[in-house]
Amino acid sequence: MNRRLPLVVLTSAALALSACSSGGGSDEPAATSTADNAGETVTLWLAGGDTPDELRTYLQDTFASETGATLKIEEQAWGDLVTKLTTALPDAANTPDVVELGNTQSPTFTNVGAFMDISDMYDELGGDKLLQSFVEAGSVDDTKYALPYYFGSRYMFYRKDIWKKAGVEVPTTLEEFNSAVATIAEDNPEDIKNFSGFFIGGQDWRNGISWIFANGGDLATKEDGQWVSTLSDPASLEGLTQLQTIQREASKAPADAKDQSPWLYINDSDTILDEEGKQTSKTSLAAATIMAPGWAHWSIGDLVKKDGKQVREWNDDTFGVFALPGTDGEPAPVFAGGSNIAISAKTQNPELSEELLRIVFSPEYQKMLGGAGLGPANSDYVDSLGDDEFAQALIDSASNSKLTPAAPGWAAVESSQVLEEFFGKIRDTDDLAGLAQQYDEKITPMLNG
Amino acid sequence: MRRSPLSRALLALLGLAVAAVWAFPVYWMLDSALLPNVVLQSTTPTFLPFGGSLDNFAAVVSDPAFVRALSVSLVVTLTTVGAALVVAFLGALAVSRFRFRGRSAFVLALLLIQMLPAEGLFIAQYKMMSSLGLLNRSLALAVLYTAAVVPFTIWMLRGFVAGVPAELEEAAMVDGLSRTQAFLRITFPLLAPGLVASGVYAFLQAWNEFTVALVVMTDEQSRTLPLWLRGFVQASASRETDWGQVMAASTLVAVPVIVFFLVVQGRMSSGLVGGAVKG
Amino acid sequence: MPSRTLDHDPPGSASGPVPAPTRSAAPRRPGSGASRRLPYLLVLPTVLLLLAALGYPVGWQLVTSLRRFGLAQQFGAPPQWVGLDNYAALVSDPTLWGVVVRSVLFCVVTALVTVAVGGAVAVLMNALDRWTRLALQVALLLAWAMPIVAAMTVWIWIVDWRRGLLNWALVHLGVDSAAGHNWLAEPLSFFVVASVVVVWMSVPFVALSIYAGLTQVGQEVIEAAMLDGASGVQRLRYIYAPLVAPVLSIVMLLQLIWDLRVFTQIKLLQDAGSVANETNLLGTYVYQLGTGKGDFGTASAVSVLILLITVALSWYYVRSLMAQES
Repeated sequence: MNRRLPLVVLTSAALALSACSSGGGSDEPAATSTADNAGETVTLWLAGGDTPDELRTYLQDTFASETGATLKIEEQAWGDLVTKLTTALPDAANTPDVVELGNTQSPTFTNVGAFMDISDMYDELGGDKLLQSFVEAGSVDDTKYALPYYFGSRYMFYRKDIWKKAGVEVPTTLEEFNSAVATIAEDNPEDIKNFSGFFIGGQDWRNGISWIFANGGDLATKEDGQWVSTLSDPASLEGLTQLQTIQREASKAPADAKDQSPWLYINDSDTILDEEGKQTSKTSLAAATIMAPGWAHWSIGDLVKKDGKQVREWNDDTFGVFALPGTDGEPAPVFAGGSNIAISAKTQNPELSEELLRIVFSPEYQKMLGGAGLGPANSDYVDSLGDDEFAQALIDSASNSKLTPAAPGWAAVESSQVLEEFFGKIRDTDDLAGLAQQYDEKITPMLNG
Repeated sequence: MRRSPLSRALLALLGLAVAAVWAFPVYWMLDSALLPNVVLQSTTPTFLPFGGSLDNFAAVVSDPAFVRALSVSLVVTLTTVGAALVVAFLGALAVSRFRFRGRSAFVLALLLIQMLPAEGLFIAQYKMMSSLGLLNRSLALAVLYTAAVVPFTIWMLRGFVAGVPAELEEAAMVDGLSRTQAFLRITFPLLAPGLVASGVYAFLQAWNEFTVALVVMTDEQSRTLPLWLRGFVQASASRETDWGQVMAASTLVAVPVIVFFLVVQGRMSSGLVGGAVKG
Repeated sequence: MPSRTLDHDPPGSASGPVPAPTRSAAPRRPGSGASRRLPYLLVLPTVLLLLAALGYPVGWQLVTSLRRFGLAQQFGAPPQWVGLDNYAALVSDPTLWGVVVRSVLFCVVTALVTVAVGGAVAVLMNALDRWTRLALQVALLLAWAMPIVAAMTVWIWIVDWRRGLLNWALVHLGVDSAAGHNWLAEPLSFFVVASVVVVWMSVPFVALSIYAGLTQVGQEVIEAAMLDGASGVQRLRYIYAPLVAPVLSIVMLLQLIWDLRVFTQIKLLQDAGSVANETNLLGTYVYQLGTGKGDFGTASAVSVLILLITVALSWYYVRSLMAQES
């Protein structure tokens, strides 16, 4: 297992010697000289296909020219990531050097010492400019282990035509949103059976918590060093009551629906033909509004033929986006998706791995992330997302976004699916306060690990 | 067997109806593989892939990882099938033709091993393979798979071995055949249906296994087909899951199994025992 | 030997109308030392293989079930011996017993249906002419060969509340209330769907295995029996059953074992709908504890419990299997 040790020692010696050779534009001295690293390989695990190919190529090319070493990128499926991290990270002989992982997965691994302490590079990589909620998720007290890689966030996609026919305007406050979607469902301008003003699945807690957050509530807070579930706090309860009204009056989604493929409900070229094969006036459109991650816009639009293939094409006349407004008219806090990036504690190439992080957090790469529609970790480069409506909605909704509590037992809460269960019961309960309290009692013991 | 033409026709009809029920989801997979994703999202089912295309297949086959995963899977699976049949045949011979001390314990152990839960074993399996330096080795994966299918295969084959009368072989040896010849000419053909059935079982277990492969084949270069297939199910920041491609990829994964079966199925015909005894 | 449905004379014993029966255990050249060693040489590869592949993992699991072993221990923190604490915590948790009862019910019903349907299909296959039989075999094999992710996706599409083929067909048959019916929301209909899917997936294996057993019965034997006036039921009971018994019994046992810990099908159906904590079976429950929570000590303890439940569930059955051995 320690066969590589002499090499590491050699590399470190070489580092000391070459500390003043020219670097990649930063003030820091280049950590390595390229010749010494030839033959070294650093492995980067990327989660899912979110990082586009151009960005991968850029990382590999830049890494090779800056360090002389090879960067091997391996893609891991999101669904298998925890299993693979659990087995490979503790194994010094086979660990990946640098890994991307989900932002809410970070506390689970940082708390058990899976990652290398990178506090000393924190300021160099962006410091306070980095998305702080993600930085916190990757820290244990003041020690930084995992830093933000990119963020995404959820916003509203709506049907301009339906909203207009129902006579409602794009809302500027949460109250307006709540009543607008109820009006649309009641009005049902297209006269479609089971039509939702806003489609939100009963068990879809990741979107549903926006109402808790927007009313100043939270899922859990730390009191006297202990985590406590706060679903039944007055502010949380206010949000849950609004959500209950939406589930009852505006949404026709089943109580057990989750947040999979919501765009299916807002597209409408899904025509229904009558007996003679003629197109009837009604479509199988199911909702006037959905809440989804920004990339859903690739799946929303009119059905058109392009190069002989049927695809969806966004149409500004029919479709629009906005960030969910809060009670005060500012964007509401919503759940932020995204990833963190960290160096394995067992890496055999710590210096080269740090070098890779420098490239990831370089202005060039941060701008490339933005150009690809991924929210850059460093707030200085958020402009690179562009100025179209999607970028605007992403920036607005992310400006106030929140993560799930950084409690040590949070992974246990999520894996037990207790939140799905609770949110799925909201619509049909007569005693929301009692239900919330009941689930607080279930969740609190799980939170502290 | 004598049956009236009417009852034969009715039987055939019943057989085809059962076949249709089992094949329907497979047909649906194929149908979906030929349709673009947007059509799959419709609320009205599309029963025939008119206006469909082979685009999904083209997209899937052009992935260089496909051929690599195919070859890894073939090596692992064929090794498993071969090894499992040989090992299990020897084991089946021992338990059905010999009385020996520990035989009951051995048979009982085979039953109990089937009951071992595999969940949560993945950490230990990884540790074992990693410390032996066997991660990413097709042979190592084949060993794990062989161990998983051998207990059932022994149980399957022992019935067949026991069904072949030892006198038959002995008679053949009296007729001047060597023991090997007697085995190859007399016993082996009689075992064929059992070997085919357990071979198909071993093939499919190894071909579609996911969890152990995920843990043991860590390198992108050594992924098996089920791991490769997994990549298509992923949605990502720039696209939703393209179910048409998933179905096309799944269809391609299923094809070698059918080929394997068509090659070996001729051995799975009835009446061998009766014929042999009469002859 | 007591005569029960699954408790038959071993094949090859003198009682069955197998052609030229022989004592299956006739040792060759009794007395010679080489021959006495032969059976051990024959089982040696199996024993070595199983030890090599399963010895360490199974041992690790037993040891881990007696320890506090979470993600921290996986990353190097010293594990702590806790004796039977993991087991005690599990056994006193009412959730586990709910899951156990659901799993046992699901497993028994599904396994019985699978073997019954599989057996019927095998008998049908045996009665068909060559080409129809091949068509049926290929159809079964197609279903068996279909990758599980594709199979589950198609089944989930079929039962989807909005776009599902099932509701579509029901509405076209005049059942208007089926429009938008959600089959996964209620635990009972969830398990019916799950059971149908599992039966569909398992029948090909059962049918082809039993069919392989049926092919050992010689055509002449059947015809002789028919001439003697044996009815279809009698033929099934006295000719087919004894020969198929070993295959049937191991296949039944395997179905019980597999269906008790069915995981992927349940997990994917849960992702599509239903409340997970009302539809968890042992497989998904261990997953929640192990991979989900990172509590490998408890997950190992559950695995050992599953083993004990399986043994208990099949004990009577295994004993009767073993009785045939001696």
